Formats: sequence, structure tokens, C-alpha cells
Amino acid sequence: MSIFTPTNQIRLTNVAVVRMKRGGQRFEIACYKNKVVSWRSGAEKDLDEVLQTHSVFVNVSKGQVAKKDDLSKSFGTEDLTEVCKQILAKGELQVSDKERHGQLETMFRDIATIVAEKCVNPETKRPYTVSMIERAMKDIHYSVKANKSTKQQALEVIKQLKKSMEIQRAHMRLRLVLPAKEGKKLKERLKPFLKVVESEDFDEQLEMVCLVDPGCFREIDELIRCETKGRGSLEVLNLKDVEEGDEKLE
Amino acid sequence: MINDLFRYVIMGHKGLDKIIALQKNPANIRNLCILAHVDHGKTTLADCLVASNGIISSRLAGKLRYLDSREDEQLRGITMKSSAISLHYAFGEYEYLLNLIDSPGHVDFSSEVSTAVRLCDGAIVIVDAVEGVCPQTQAVLRQAWLENIRPVLVLNKMDRLISELKLTSLEAFTHLQKILEQVNAVTGALFTSKVLEERAEKEDHAGETPGADQVYDWSAGLEETDDSHLYFSPDQGNVVFASAIDGWGFSIQQFARIYSQKMGIREEVLCKTLWGDFFLNAKAKKIMKGAQAKGKKPLFVQLVLDNIWTLYDAVVTRRDKEKVEKMMTSLGVKVMARDSRHSDPKVLLSAICSQWLPISQAVLSMVCEKLPSPLDISTERVERLMSVGARQFDSLPERTQELKNAFVQCSSEAEAPVIVFVSKMFAVDAKALPQNKQRPLTHEELAERREQARQRHADRMAANQQAQSSAGPAHYVVSLPAGGEGDPIQMESLAAVKEPEVEEVAKDTFVAFARVYSGVVRRGQKVFILGPKYDPAQGLNMLPEGCMASDSVPEVPHLTCCTLDSLYLLMGRELEELDEVPSGNVLGIGGLEDFVLKSATISTSPACPPFIPLNFEATPIVRVAIEPKHPSEMPKLVRGMRLLNQADPCAEVLIQETGEHRCLDDLRQRFAKIEITASKPIIPFRETVVRPPKLDMVNEELGRQHKTAIIHQVKEEAPQSRFSDTLHVDPGGLVTITTPNRLATVGVCALPLPTEVTCLLEASSELVRTLEQVNMSLREGRSLTVSPRTLEDIAHLKARLAALLQGHKWKNAVEHIWAFGPRRYGPNILLNSVEGYQRPSVWQCLDPAEKGAEPCAAALRDLDNSIVSGFQLATLSGPMCEEPLMGVCFSVERWDLQQTRAAAAATPEEEAGPGQVTRHWAGAGSAGCYGPVSGQLIAVMKEACRHAFQARPQRLMAAMYTCEIMATAEVLGRVYGVLGKREGRVLHEEMKEGTDMFLISAVLPVAESFGFADEIRKRTSGLASPQLVFSHWEVIASDPYWVPTTEEEYLHFGEKADSANQALKYMNAVRRRKGLYVEEKTVEHAEKQRTLSKNK
Repeated sequence: MSIFTPTNQIRLTNVAVVRMKRGGQRFEIACYKNKVVSWRSGAEKDLDEVLQTHSVFVNVSKGQVAKKDDLSKSFGTEDLTEVCKQILAKGELQVSDKERHGQLETMFRDIATIVAEKCVNPETKRPYTVSMIERAMKDIHYSVKANKSTKQQALEVIKQLKKSMEIQRAHMRLRLVLPAKEGKKLKERLKPFLKVVESEDFDEQLEMVCLVDPGCFREIDELIRCETKGRGSLEVLNLKDVEEGDEKLE
Repeated sequence: MINDLFRYVIMGHKGLDKIIALQKNPANIRNLCILAHVDHGKTTLADCLVASNGIISSRLAGKLRYLDSREDEQLRGITMKSSAISLHYAFGEYEYLLNLIDSPGHVDFSSEVSTAVRLCDGAIVIVDAVEGVCPQTQAVLRQAWLENIRPVLVLNKMDRLISELKLTSLEAFTHLQKILEQVNAVTGALFTSKVLEERAEKEDHAGETPGADQVYDWSAGLEETDDSHLYFSPDQGNVVFASAIDGWGFSIQQFARIYSQKMGIREEVLCKTLWGDFFLNAKAKKIMKGAQAKGKKPLFVQLVLDNIWTLYDAVVTRRDKEKVEKMMTSLGVKVMARDSRHSDPKVLLSAICSQWLPISQAVLSMVCEKLPSPLDISTERVERLMSVGARQFDSLPERTQELKNAFVQCSSEAEAPVIVFVSKMFAVDAKALPQNKQRPLTHEELAERREQARQRHADRMAANQQAQSSAGPAHYVVSLPAGGEGDPIQMESLAAVKEPEVEEVAKDTFVAFARVYSGVVRRGQKVFILGPKYDPAQGLNMLPEGCMASDSVPEVPHLTCCTLDSLYLLMGRELEELDEVPSGNVLGIGGLEDFVLKSATISTSPACPPFIPLNFEATPIVRVAIEPKHPSEMPKLVRGMRLLNQADPCAEVLIQETGEHRCLDDLRQRFAKIEITASKPIIPFRETVVRPPKLDMVNEELGRQHKTAIIHQVKEEAPQSRFSDTLHVDPGGLVTITTPNRLATVGVCALPLPTEVTCLLEASSELVRTLEQVNMSLREGRSLTVSPRTLEDIAHLKARLAALLQGHKWKNAVEHIWAFGPRRYGPNILLNSVEGYQRPSVWQCLDPAEKGAEPCAAALRDLDNSIVSGFQLATLSGPMCEEPLMGVCFSVERWDLQQTRAAAAATPEEEAGPGQVTRHWAGAGSAGCYGPVSGQLIAVMKEACRHAFQARPQRLMAAMYTCEIMATAEVLGRVYGVLGKREGRVLHEEMKEGTDMFLISAVLPVAESFGFADEIRKRTSGLASPQLVFSHWEVIASDPYWVPTTEEEYLHFGEKADSANQALKYMNAVRRRKGLYVEEKTVEHAEKQRTLSKNK
């Protein structure tokens, strides 16, 4: 019977354990902290910088090494390094706070960049800077979710930012060409989507250049294709309608 | 506190009346400014002069800095804004009006100096007697020279020679001589360079002078031109020796007058001999030459300096009461008992000196004598002022030329045309304007207020008592030590709380800092305001003859009409309202902020030309991106910026394409009143590909070498995109991808464009843009009328492109250009190399006949657009760090479209490409689960371009500044040091003719330019200042993805290639900023991490 006293209690303070279940058995390897994610992303290329030792354990904290038979049964090889690599690539691990922090920060930036790319200040039609978006995101206490895509989160952020600042998605400039017959009917149905109609030309067919919110592009496309049975067409003239060029303030 | 003091000391109405009377006589007006290096005593001297008019007490002169009216100026002890004051001085039987402008000496505020100099006819240049000529002294002398105004010299801080340096009078004399020589050397250099310039011009005009003559000639130029009047010399009376802090100053003439009476030598003789190598032969009672050679004391030392030295010795050093008494009686000076008993000897000293040799008298009489009045304005200067933008004066319209007479006469007749020049706008607290200012209170009012205040105080006391008793004992202990003084402290803090609120309410108004050159300005007068770009010839044509500003005027560019609301006399921080201002005076004009941006010319005659723009010594260099801390405060920031732009002549505000507001930050707090963060400017990059290198990093030939460590080069990890399964890269760099619905396949390869082509495309982007517009309209069947000129230009562009794209690779390339990108007019090319695919060329507008022969079916036309869109997207953001591409040619080698049942449109002709297998994948229609084909094709094309790009050696391109640096020979080395540290490259350096300045031109990456100007100025102590202008894009030689591969490279760099890779550094910085993935380890060394115990 073991008594846990401070002296015989071995604590793995600087070890990151990567676990994997294969063939009903659990395998573990002992790695350095903050290194496994770098290895997976390809930034770290030296295996010795990742592994504490080239051996496969059943339980790292108890120091129980896996049996060779089990290894060859589960992995089909006895080469420890090879097995370690497999476990490194596919095993599960506790992401260290440093790694998580780095990841969330990158995602945060990424979201801010996406928002800055997509949005403009409706008054000036000029984009905001990334740093301003970042600050605004901090102000509304936006917390990044690691398991959601950045683009999805960016759209969410835009919605939330609208409450606290003047922000708007940059409009898309589209040209719609509709056959004359359906033109009138369709125009009524398209109305709610169109923010600004820049020009309208109605002779043999209805031709319109308009600004729309990029969010409803799919719907417009769908509508036109279904209603005109492929005779109407839709062309993207400009993905983002922003002011260009430097303007001297006078 | 000080401010309040002045309310009551301010000159009464009598003084104002006198000044108004004096303003009418331009012959007795002197407009002058005080110029010097920082801390040479400009404001102190101005104080002394102000004190002479009784505006401030002479006791406070030198300590108060009356003209530093801003709080931060007082706090930091330097002048930041120039301010003007009108003084009155009686000299001989005449009374003079002096419009004095004090200017800042610090380099950063040199724009203020420019505005001040423009309004003046003369300048007082101050030089520290200890420090001598400093960089800013040179700068101000140069500015005075350029504006053609006459300078006089004041050698200030003479007392430091005695008390700090402890020089003997003889040493001091040689020291002063040296300084004078330095100053004259600067003037001389300016003069020589001008003469040389003129000569060069003359020779250009003369053209065919025989060569031999020229060689003989060049030395003659200098001697022919007389320059003696330019130099400073005490015997000419344009030098004053002074100590503004002690309140004394003298010119040679003053002493000459004294001694001519005493010694019976003629005054003129003394004037000539008092400065220079002369000595007094006591026996012969004669003044002889050659004091130095004979080891005698020069006259100046014996008669002038020795006296001052003894006085200082007696009063300050030895404090010999008796001797001082004796000296005082001999000088005829009476000092108040209070001063003589004062413990600080300086008080006594300045009391004696200011009576014996009052500085104001010395300086002001010199000013009145030596500086020109507005009447003496030289025709040369007038012509220079009036000839805008390198136009010759003679080429101006006749009526404009007539105005020159008005200038020269400077008449205040009612019918003379009014000409006023506004050199800057300055912000004034609305409270300070005379109409809003409270009059001094009468006694009854005062008493009443006192009573009210007492009442309030009592209330507050009661309230405090209550608060304290409720706050408990701890609080009580804290407030106890304040004891009896507790109340005033609390009062003050209360007042301090209130103050910001008041400031919030008070709005800044702008007052124009201006000078009348001709005519009389009246309040309520209607005038024309001419912007800097106004052209009198154009204006005269558009306006009816004899048109006045009060008539309704047709729209003329850069010309507006307005009424002058209020005119002010500038009295330092005070403004006095005036009804009219005759010519030759400096004044403030209110209510112009909507009409005048920074500087303008005001006139009643539309024939008046705008004055030439100010000469700025420094152009705006420091650029900062500014954004509000709270995004919702954006409009406030914009308003603040607008005000700042108006107030600071040197600030330029730009709104950038990316939405950044840039500006020279100076007074943001004052104008915007919101929290602002100034961020680092974002540095742009471009991405490009290059030819595969022939040599490796250690200059060994590649190819034959055995690549030892190819394993380490982790090449092209499997891309996570959804196209991965169909992606295929062949060794030639051809990338083929198929859309997810297997309908279309594109094959693209990337090629570097020759540099010349890139440059050409960059330069002619406007043309390419119009070309695209024409094509766009042609495609839709509409025809856009294009001027033959544009067509010619396009044809020319095509010819040049064809000439540049030579060789086997580019055979017929120009004909096959599909599109330009990004944004349809960038420096990248999409090339159509698909065999058998005919599409209208981009040059179709050149050849309208071909238009009819379009072989393509309508269905294909749509997809054609998709390919172009994909290309546009790819070129807009490259794979390295999502920056635009530059100088890359994407050549579409393959483009297969599968026939589908749904889209039955027959497109057999594009089944091209040798050896291609068409997989008939009869699945979904054009719109399956992957969305429309056009959309998929865009994505595929983009992906293909990116991979094709990555298959080549990639490089970053950095924006480069060209950098012009003026530096003296001594600091040349340090300039090179700073340039080298910041990856700059010196292109060439040359010496400027006639000066000791070097002109260095270099290129510097924009990324390294942040803080460059600051650093170079610091390192060279302000002797070199760079000017940065964007010039071009340059490929950074190092490969951001480089790792050592060959044996030699391993030996040289080691396995990890730890040496800094500049391109990688830039790339990672951009990627990090954008939140892209950066290949970077969380920790570098696994073993070197801090061990944290789990218990913690």
C-alpha cells in the first residue's frame, strides 16, 4: 500500500501527455509542454524537441511502459519512434493555456480582419481599421469560440457591433438582366433585397445595376434563376463598394 | 493667476488711441520678428521690450514670458506659437509703432517661423554669446534671406561670459569676434550660393560664351557683387550686445556718444574704431591700429567691456557696497533703497544696468534706424511675392502689374486697393475675444461679488463639516494636518473640477494672422478672398470690369467674397478691437475660418495675385495614423482634424483608402477632446515571383550540387482546401485543378514579368482602366465614344508592351492578354494560352472591324468572366501574406469544360489541350450541391493561381522611399550609420555648391522608416533632416521560405538558419497583424521552459 507523502509523490509538472486508444488499449507518450501543437502545425520539425523520451507508455504518471506485443498488435510495428509519431498526430491531448491563448488570439485577429474587410462606415463609405475593430470587439466583450469558424463568428460580431457603433456590411454591386416578361413581377419581389438601385434600363429586357447586402446574394440568385428559368442573369460587378483613394481633408 | 494679473495691467484706452494714431503713418511703422535658435532668449528679449511700454513691470521682465500665452508654453518654457504685440517707442523726435512678432526657436515649430517672417520687413536675429551659431540660427538666417527681409543682430547672454565662463574682458572680445565671424559666414554662404545660382542662370541664357572665358569668369562673379551691406558689424550699427535677463544692452554708437564728450574725440571716428583692432595711445591721445600685434588692449575692451566687467565684479562677485555707491554716482544712476538692500545681488545689478544701458532703448533704436519701414519695401520683394508658381512677374496681367505700385507706395488712401496677406490662422479661446471679455469691475460690483463668494464659502464649509462628521474618524485624521490651510486647498480643488467644464463650453474661434500691404481695411468691408491657387488672369476674364466684392459675383475658382467682421490689434494674449487698419500694419481678422484654410490673400481688387506660398523649412515628415479610442467618436475626430488642419500650417490630414486618418499630431486634445490612439502606420507590401535562382546563398552554383537535406525542406504540405483531391502540380510549375462537381478543369502556371513591364503597367494604370471600361461596354454591345487621343495612347501602350515582351516565352503574348489585375488595372497579367480558345482580345477597341467575329457562345462568355474574377481575387491577395501581387503573369494553359445534359449549350470548341482526357461526369446540372458553376470556377481559378504562384520562388516586394538628406560634413558619418542600420542604400552624395552642405540621396524601405526622421535628427543634433518621398517597389532579395539545403549552406548557416531573414520577418509581421497563421513555435526550446509546480 502506497502512502502519498510529499517525498514519494512524483508529479509530472513539465510533461504533456498525449493519449490514444487503439485496439481497446490506452497508449500514452510523454512530451514537452507547448510543443505538441507546434509539431502538428508543422512549425516544429525536430522530434526530439517534442518527445521527452522515445518510448510508449500505458500510464505516463506511473511510468508503466507499454508491452511490445500490444504495440505490434495495435500499430502493426514495433518501431517506437514510428508509434510515437502516430500517437502525436492523432492522439488527444490537453492543450496548454499558452497554446490555447495563442490560438484564440490568432482567431480574434482573424475575425477582426474579416470584419474590417467586409464592413464600412456607412457615413463615409470607408472601411474601419483592423485595430479599431479589435478595440470595439473588446469593448463589447466578445469572446472567441475555438470550435466555430472565424467567418461564422465574424458575421456574428458584425451583428453585435451594429449596436455600439456605425458599421455596415459593404454592399455588393450587381447587375441584373431580366427578361421583359418576368421583369416587372420579379422586380417587385426583388425590391426588399435591393438597397440602392443605381440605374434601371427597361427596353427589351430589364437591366438594373444595384447595391445589395452580400448576405442575400444567394437568395437573389436563387430567385432569379428559378423565376426566369435560366434566362435572367446576374453579374457581380464589385464585391465591395468602398471609397477609394486618399482624400485630402480641407 | 498670471492671466488675471494682466486683465488689470493691460494698457488703458490712452495707449490704444495712440497706437491707432501711429498706425496711420507707415513711415514710422516697423514690422519685425525675433528669430533665433531655441533658448537663445527670444521671449526674454521680447519681455524687456514689452516692459518698456509699461505693459508689464520691468521687474518681471524676463521671468514672465508675456508672449508665451499658452499653458504648455509656460510649463515647458519654450515658445510654440508665434504671437504678436504692438509697441510704441519714441526715438528722437519721432514716435514709432513696432509690430513685434515673437517666434518659436524649436525645430518642430519652424512652420511658425515661416508664417511670422512673411509678415515682417525686418528681423532681430539673436545669437547666444556663449553657444554661438546653432543649427536653427542658420535656418532662420536662411529664411530671412529667402523672404528678403533685413536682419539685425543681438548678441545675447553677455552676462554668461562673465559669470559662467569667467572670461576676462579681452578673452570675451575675441570670443565675440569669433561669433560674429560665424554669423557672417552663414550670411556669406547664402550670398555666394545666390550669386552662383544667378551666374548659372545667366550662363544658361548666354549659352554660347566661349569656354575659355568661363573658366576665367567664375571667380569674378563674387567680387563684382557688392555684399558689404549684408554683413553684421558693430560699426555699422546693426549689432547690439545685450543681456536680456539682466536688462542691459548697448550698441557701439551709445558708447561712442558717451566717450566723444568725455575724451573729445569725434563721434564718427569712435564709431568706426570702437570695434576692431584699434587701441588708444594715451600719450599721443590718438587712436592707433594694430592692438593685437602690439599687445595692447583694443579700444572696445578698454572703453566698453572693462566697465561692465568692473560693475559685475563689484556688484555680483565682491559685493563691495562702497564701490558700487561710487560707480552709481559716476554713472548718474539712482537705485531704490529696496533694491540696494536686497540680498540677491542680481536685483541690484539689473536695477543699475537697466538704468545705465536699458536694453529696450538699444534694441529699439537700432530697429527704428536700421530696419526698413513698410514704405521701403523693395520692388524686388514685391515681384517675388506676387509671382506665383514660377511664373515670371512680367507674364501677369497688366492690371495686376499695376498693383505693384500700390504695394510700393503702401498708401492708406481710401481709394487704394486693399491687399492683405493672411499667413496663418490661430485658435483663440472665445472668452479672450474683446466682445466677450468682461470689463474690469467697478468697486460696487467687486464688493457684491466678494459678499457672494463669502456666502458660498460659508455654505460649502457647512457642507464639508457635515460630510466629514459622517465620514468617520479615519477620514478626519487625514484631513487634520492640513489645519488652517485646509479650506483654501479644498477651494482650489473645487475650482479645478469646475474648470474643465468651462473649457468644454468655450469654443475656439480662429483669428487670421495678417498684414495689410496696401489700402485701409475697415470693419464690415466686403473683400475678395483669394486662395493660393487663384489665377488673376482667369479671374479678370470671368469678372466684369470694375467689379467690386459687394456685387454679386459669378463663380470663379479659388475666389470667394466675404465681409470682414472684426479686426483686432494683437497684443500678445490680448486682442483689442479696431475699426480700421491702415496699410503697413499687422492685424488679426476674425470670422474668416469658413473662408480661409491656412493662408490666403485678401483684396478688393480681383486683379490681385495670390502671394507665393510660404517657404517651409521642414515639410511634414512624421506621419501617424490616428483613430479614436471609441469608434463611435469618429465624427468628433474628423471635426477636430479639420480644426487642427486650419491651425497648424504644417499639418496635413489625409483620409486613406483604408480608412485611416493621418495627421501630424500636435494639439489633438485641444481640438477633438476625445481619447485618441495613434497607431503605427500600416506598411504595404507586394508579392511576386522570380526566376529560379542559379546560385545558392553562399554563391555556389546550384543544380550540380547534391541536395543533402531535402527531407528538411518540408515542401507543400497537403492543402486543406476542398480542391486537394484534384490538385496536381507538375515539375514545370503547371497547376491543374478541377471543380468539385468535375465539370471544369483549369491549368495555370505563373511567370515573372520583366521589371520594365511591371513599371509600364504601374505607370499606365489609368489608361488600362479606361481600356477596361471600353471593353466592358463593347462586350455589352454598347459603344463608348473614345477620343482618338486615348486610342492612340492605347496603341502606344500595346506597342511598348510588345517591345518589352520579347523572346521565345513571350511569343505573341501581347495579343493574348486576357485581363489585367487586381481590380482590372493592376500590374499583373492573365494570359490566354489555351489552344483553340478564341476570345476577343483586350485590344479590341483598337480594331473595331474585328468586333463582329466573335466565335464564342453566350454560355462561355459568362464563364469567361468567372476566370477573370478568379484571377482578380488571386492577384488581390497573394498566398504569402494576403497582400496584392505585382509583376506576375498567370498563363492559362488548359481550360476544359465538360458537356452536361442540363446545360445543353454546345461548346465543342474549347475541348483543347493535348493529351487531355475528358471524363464525362454526367452528374448534377449546372447548379448542384456546390452552387453555380460560375461560382465554383471563380474559386478554382483563384486556387489554381495561388498554387501556381507557390510553385515558383516567391519574393516579397517592399515599398521604398527615396530619401533626400541635407547634412554638414561633420555629421555625414552618423547619417550613414543611421541609414545602414535601417537597411537604407545610399545612391549618391554631392556637395552643394557654395556651401558646406552635402546632399545625400538614398533609398529606404518604408517598413524601416518609422521614426527614421526622428532618429536621424537626434543622432545629428538637428544638423541633418531627411525628406522622404515614396518612389517605387523593390524586390527583397531574400526568400522568406528559405532554409539551408546544400552542404555549403549548412556549413555556413547551420541547420536552423538562425540568422535573421528580413523577408520572413516582414512576412510574419504582416501575417500576425492580419491574424493569419504564422509558422512559429509557441516556445523555442522545449528544455528551457520554466518548471511550474502543479500545486500552484
